[in-house]
Amino acid sequence: MNIQKRFLPSLFLWVLPVLFCLSACRNNPAAGKPKRMAVVVSTLNNPWFVFLAEKAAAKAKELGYETKIFDSQNNTALETDHFENALASGYQAILFNPTDAEGSVVNVQKAKDAGVPVFCMDREVNSTDAATSQILSDSYAGCVALGKYFVEKMNKQGTYVELLGLVGDNNTWNRSKGFHSVVDYYSGLKMVAQQSADFDRNKGMEVLESILQAHPDINAVFCGNDAMAMGAYQALVAAGKADKVKIFGFDGAPEVIESIRDGKIVATAMQFPEVMANTAATSADEYLKGKRDFPKKLPVAVELVNKEDINDYSAYGKKE
Amino acid sequence: MKKGLNYIITLLLLVVVAYNSVYFKKLSEVKAAGKSKQFNATAYAQDYLNGKLPSALDKALDVNRLTALLKADPETGFQKYSHALGIGNIRFFLVKGQGEIAKIEEDATTLLVQQDTARQLIRIATEYVFGNAVRDASGLININEFDNTMDFNGVSAEVNKIIREKVLPPFKKEAKKGDEVIFTGAIELNQAHLKLDNIEVVPVTLQLVKKSQ
Repeated sequence: MNIQKRFLPSLFLWVLPVLFCLSACRNNPAAGKPKRMAVVVSTLNNPWFVFLAEKAAAKAKELGYETKIFDSQNNTALETDHFENALASGYQAILFNPTDAEGSVVNVQKAKDAGVPVFCMDREVNSTDAATSQILSDSYAGCVALGKYFVEKMNKQGTYVELLGLVGDNNTWNRSKGFHSVVDYYSGLKMVAQQSADFDRNKGMEVLESILQAHPDINAVFCGNDAMAMGAYQALVAAGKADKVKIFGFDGAPEVIESIRDGKIVATAMQFPEVMANTAATSADEYLKGKRDFPKKLPVAVELVNKEDINDYSAYGKKE
Repeated sequence: MKKGLNYIITLLLLVVVAYNSVYFKKLSEVKAAGKSKQFNATAYAQDYLNGKLPSALDKALDVNRLTALLKADPETGFQKYSHALGIGNIRFFLVKGQGEIAKIEEDATTLLVQQDTARQLIRIATEYVFGNAVRDASGLININEFDNTMDFNGVSAEVNKIIREKVLPPFKKEAKKGDEVIFTGAIELNQAHLKLDNIEVVPVTLQLVKKSQ
């Protein structure tokens, strides 16, 4: 009994503060840790996304955060693992390029439930309240401009093929719908095939090679991104038709900018990945400093690039 | 006896749970409810063009005044008079003016617009009425009011469709070289690479004043 009396006060004196600290650490996993931002990107197999991820990480670093880039390899299951790792490791914000508009919502929601803000870059998730803000290229408007130029260059007639991107990505459909919102008004323009090549250069080449077997006399190819446009160009070179078929891309990748200059590709739509990456990282920093008022969606203008104004542009943006 | 009572209570509980777990609704009712939630882009576009936009167009700057300002002080011009829903170099302006038809082509009608001592040729788009100029130039529409981006894009498509179907056909039918045209509309400019020598107006209203009148 005496022993109990002697030990109880000291027990309270030592054990309670320890318990309090443990509880505080559990509530705030980042307490005492360096400031960290995770960059989760759909794929690093496409130079455009490498550029986006590196620019986001560089901006976050510039703002004083430790960063790590996670590659989802276009796989939502892997993306889920990355989110779980990022949350368990105490990252305070996630700069996110989703793999799938629908499939990625659960990951963003999980981060939100854990109190970690998510800022989407370039691709959107189909939820208006899961992400803190979504900074997205205005793909639809970019492809409206591209569609108008397409109609002009084709003199309102001819046959064409459309290579779509990943079918689960909203950008694929925003681009396709923007393009068709113009082109479908012209009955002289006939689409003979529309197939997905997953935004991938090799698949772009293979898909067009196979389409060319059935439709050897096409006049144009509209591609949902520049990687597929370069793949399509390779397929047309192999078939000896590169100078007869007009190719249109989307992104503003270095090779396509050079190809427009050389007359191999007719036009692309320039996205501004650095603007999106910087805006996402800066917004995340502002959030962590207390700001809460962010637009749910922030479109970033996309610009048509063709041979006439190619000198105004360089890869992934405007010439300084 | 007690065992039997237990069975009866368990059975009753199961029935209550099962009854409250399953609901039957008419398929037609469910479909109708889904439809009522669908965004009506046509109605929204009509309301925008007929209800909200006219008062904004009343305050639009004369096209010659705007170009003069943009030549002299582009930063102020863009800041004060342009709108865009996001970030980037593409910005939109509402404009109005009056000019004489100098040329009629398949895709556009060129007007000579004179005001005070300023005169310039501007193009009225009569073929390629696409894009977001009319939707975004007023600054009256907020993207965050829309649940999904395609609904928002649908507004532009419908606004442009109304212009193509209602505004352009009577104008194209009647317009002759030398006629005066009073117009309102929207223009798109790139603030990083400003080009003012080939301004194209997407028209919202076009009023012909015949030479003989």
